[in-house]
Amino acid sequence: MSTKAKASKRIPRVGQGVARLDADEKVRGLAEYADDLQVPDAWYGYIVRSPVSHGRLRALTLDPDYDWSRIVVVTPDDIPGENIVDMMGRDMPFIAHDEIQYRGEPIALVAAPTRKQAREAAAHVRADIEELPPLLTLGEMIDRYKRDPSELHELCAQTIRKGDAERALEEAELVVEGEYRAGHQEQLYIEPQGMVAVPEKDGSVFIHGSMQCPYFINPELCVTLDLPPEKIRVKQSAVGGAFGGKEEFPTLLAGYCALLALKAKRPVKIIYDRHQDILYSTKRHPVWSRYRTGLDKDGTIRALCVEYVLDGGAYTTLSPVVMYRGILHAAMGYRCDHVWVDGYVFRTNTFPSGAFRGFGAPQAVWGLESHVDDLAKACGMTPHEFRLRNALREGDVTPTGGVLRHSVGSPAVLTQTVERSGFVEKLSRCSHGRVSDGKWYGIGMSFFAHGAGFTGDGEARFKAKVALDLEPGEDGWPVVLVRASSTEMGQGTFTILPQVAADGLCIDLNRVRNPYPDTKYVPNSGPTVASRTAMVVGSTVYGAAQKMKKQLEEYVTREFTGGQAVQLVDGQFLTADEKVAMTFEEAATHHFQHRGPLRVYDQFRLPDYLQWDQKNFVGDAYPSYSWGCNVAEVEVDPRTLEVNVLKVTGVYDIGKVLNPVLAKGQLEGGLVQALGYAVMEKIEIKDGLFDASRMQTYVIPTTLDIPEFDLDFVEFPYEFAVPGAKGVGEIPMNGLGPAIANAVEQATGVRMRELPITPETLFAAMTRGASGPLLRTGTA
Amino acid sequence: MSPVSTLKTFEDIDCTFPKTLQEALELMADEKTRGVPLAGGTDLMVQWESGALPMPERVINVKSIPELREISEADNEVVIGGSVTHMELRQSSAVRRAVPSLAEAAATIGGFQIQIMGTLAGSVANASPAGDLAPSLLITDGTVTLAGVRGEREVKLTEFWKGYREIDRQPDELIVRFRLPRLPEGHYESWRKLGARKAQAISKVMGSSRGRMKDGVVSCFKVALGSIAPTAVRLYDVEQWIVGQPIHDETLKEAEQRVADAVKPIGDIRSTAEYRKWVSGRLVRLFLEELAARSG
Repeated sequence: MSTKAKASKRIPRVGQGVARLDADEKVRGLAEYADDLQVPDAWYGYIVRSPVSHGRLRALTLDPDYDWSRIVVVTPDDIPGENIVDMMGRDMPFIAHDEIQYRGEPIALVAAPTRKQAREAAAHVRADIEELPPLLTLGEMIDRYKRDPSELHELCAQTIRKGDAERALEEAELVVEGEYRAGHQEQLYIEPQGMVAVPEKDGSVFIHGSMQCPYFINPELCVTLDLPPEKIRVKQSAVGGAFGGKEEFPTLLAGYCALLALKAKRPVKIIYDRHQDILYSTKRHPVWSRYRTGLDKDGTIRALCVEYVLDGGAYTTLSPVVMYRGILHAAMGYRCDHVWVDGYVFRTNTFPSGAFRGFGAPQAVWGLESHVDDLAKACGMTPHEFRLRNALREGDVTPTGGVLRHSVGSPAVLTQTVERSGFVEKLSRCSHGRVSDGKWYGIGMSFFAHGAGFTGDGEARFKAKVALDLEPGEDGWPVVLVRASSTEMGQGTFTILPQVAADGLCIDLNRVRNPYPDTKYVPNSGPTVASRTAMVVGSTVYGAAQKMKKQLEEYVTREFTGGQAVQLVDGQFLTADEKVAMTFEEAATHHFQHRGPLRVYDQFRLPDYLQWDQKNFVGDAYPSYSWGCNVAEVEVDPRTLEVNVLKVTGVYDIGKVLNPVLAKGQLEGGLVQALGYAVMEKIEIKDGLFDASRMQTYVIPTTLDIPEFDLDFVEFPYEFAVPGAKGVGEIPMNGLGPAIANAVEQATGVRMRELPITPETLFAAMTRGASGPLLRTGTA
Repeated sequence: MSPVSTLKTFEDIDCTFPKTLQEALELMADEKTRGVPLAGGTDLMVQWESGALPMPERVINVKSIPELREISEADNEVVIGGSVTHMELRQSSAVRRAVPSLAEAAATIGGFQIQIMGTLAGSVANASPAGDLAPSLLITDGTVTLAGVRGEREVKLTEFWKGYREIDRQPDELIVRFRLPRLPEGHYESWRKLGARKAQAISKVMGSSRGRMKDGVVSCFKVALGSIAPTAVRLYDVEQWIVGQPIHDETLKEAEQRVADAVKPIGDIRSTAEYRKWVSGRLVRLFLEELAARSG
């Protein structure tokens, strides 16, 4: 079988905009989401919730007039292990048993044969609660913080100290101050939360449902159920969007289902409806930040002092890491020798805040990039001149003292966005709220980075693991299966990881599959969060693919070519003189017959020079950064103060772009979510609960609200994680809010300091008359 | 001991589908067969599900009754059946000619699914202050006809909404049709809705006007706003004041101020009282500017 290979030129799989591999099952409606799972004999679970925001649970009683014979009730006494959710702080009980910290906190669980019966039974559980005064809103929290922080319950705190920022502030020629706020944001994934727990005969529990992080659930349930890890199996079902909302929260749902299932001795399913999902799942942390910056008149930044304060809700959960990412982005992007950042998360008696695309960074960039426009103004510089003068470049030092050694897309993203958008010319056309016949026009920009992967030395310590399995596929032909715990939730994991594997092996993409992660089969590649999958897991899959390629080449050399070395190129093993020895399929099939299936592992590694001091927050805060710049153009209608975002221009460095179609989809989708955060999405606390608790009241953008996008990539591949991706999932969320606020200032003359910017908040700001045109009835 | 059933779901509702108006009226006449009239259900089903309204025992679905689905034109009016959908309103050339602002308003309600399900009578009977069709109905000075087995009754639309979610309907009556005087020659209508986004928004403030300019002054002006009071309202004082005035900067300012002074909106999840008050004046100003521009 030695025919001459036609064209032995390697076909790249990475960098191609191939169609999603999961498109077919999704457009045909074949994908099984949590509520589609057919689980025979499953009962439905329901959560009995506290009716008060803060209190002490004195007693729990079951209505004696209700028939409980076909109902299972779980209270803290039924928890085999610890009644603690094993997250950061370890301060949240699975089921409240003493102090209640928020309205809606679980006080018991029930399961019944039907959803209706479960709901009904929950209404017959009576709680005797002594009420205590609650703290409910960011506004009250900040009032207390300014008056006396000791009045608050601190969930966590961290500082960054570089140089002596207080002294540098005193010595600076100019000092500019500003405060910025933003409220909660709801993820509003299409598919609500849903989970099933199946008790198996051998005493183990099988968890199946909608989640981002299968391996978050295992260790937690070990603690709660008092089971060894091998007795807990977790599998992801198809996921209809997550955005961080299915990072830590599904662990709670899995626990509720598992506790009920073990007591009921049958499967238990919980599927939230939209109303429950909005009321009782995590949101983006509300933020308040205060900036004090020292400048020289020539535009040099001398000192940056930042307070970054988050509303954590009732318990610690993931708040420390959200705040860490927040403070690491709160002064990031600009040269400055003296940077002090103080980060705090305080408790309010509301549903615990949690993960949401950007994870603290959008809240930080919102304040910083609004503030930077004020800095430019104070020095008499334009927004782009000021940013260009101060932007970090390759070799520069970050606020934590890390050196930007490689893959630095700054200032490239900045200069290219300015040029593409025509920023300089358009800036001169802004209306500044001056009376004219038509609408007020404004243009604004923002410049930002996003740390790729876990914060600090998280990736170095975690060492993500993946495997590749070469085995016979359902059609008899060999397939390579990507074995990682990284999940597909709409963003494209099940396409890019096979692309990378095909590239590393140099075989056709249609020979690679990415099954839904199941902890029975996959090593722990970590949670699908922190814009880490393309960089960390992608490069590890690539490493595994290269190992498998080498093993197969050696196998063919040994078994077929009499020691003559071969190379696997585009699915064929070629000898040195470019003769085809055999195909990938032939070699793999031979391997199955004589040696069985083949599995290879690989593990993520980082360069040794990276250093991180977690206690003092000194060193390389991230292995690498993605970079971005946004320019927003807006039109404000002076008649109604409606803000219309006309166009968004953006250039991003996300390293090597693995799939340009999917990556652009991430940018556009993320920008639409950021648009909602900036001008629309408003959810507040009323009587201890989220007020906009339905899609009727929680308003997100529709297709008609989407502006014109002009988006592009500039590639600075991260060479230590071949093929060189950094991260694209979160960075689109970071910068649009401040770019819009800056554009609104250019349009109206008014600086908006709170998100979302709505006609109502603009009206309030303008009639307060502090800045900009005083707009009274009767003027236009 | 059997479970005390405290919870009702959609499956518990007894739903009847009468084929003719007569059959529906007979069902409504008898307390034993009477049910909540359902004409699309886009408002009611949401409120039943959320618990804002109790789940009913019985529902009479009137949406498919042929007599309620007609649109016809007479010399000086258009007659619209109660079960005409929002989609039919926005697509009907008869409605577009006779009450253009009503067709425009219907086009802004919900998405296509809601527009295909929801109906004129349903929206009117739901009597939400944010019901988008109300201002356009009010400015026509038209009527709504209710029917019972005893006969028909015609009520002026300006008197039909009695208060917050309250209409002048007897328990045995059904809304059968609307008679709306057509836009006279030389008159123009305006419509504007302010929502939190460009589609599928529930109004913060919305309104319609119908007017005419003759010899350089306003000769006729009717204006109604919604979402600023327990019901949509006509602004009679402002209407009276503007008639006979020319439209220029000074009268526009005065009109705007008079509107803002006249309305007493509340703040809720969709907007603030202050913004609603201010923007009410701005909308009426906008309508007058449009009237002047169109009248050349």
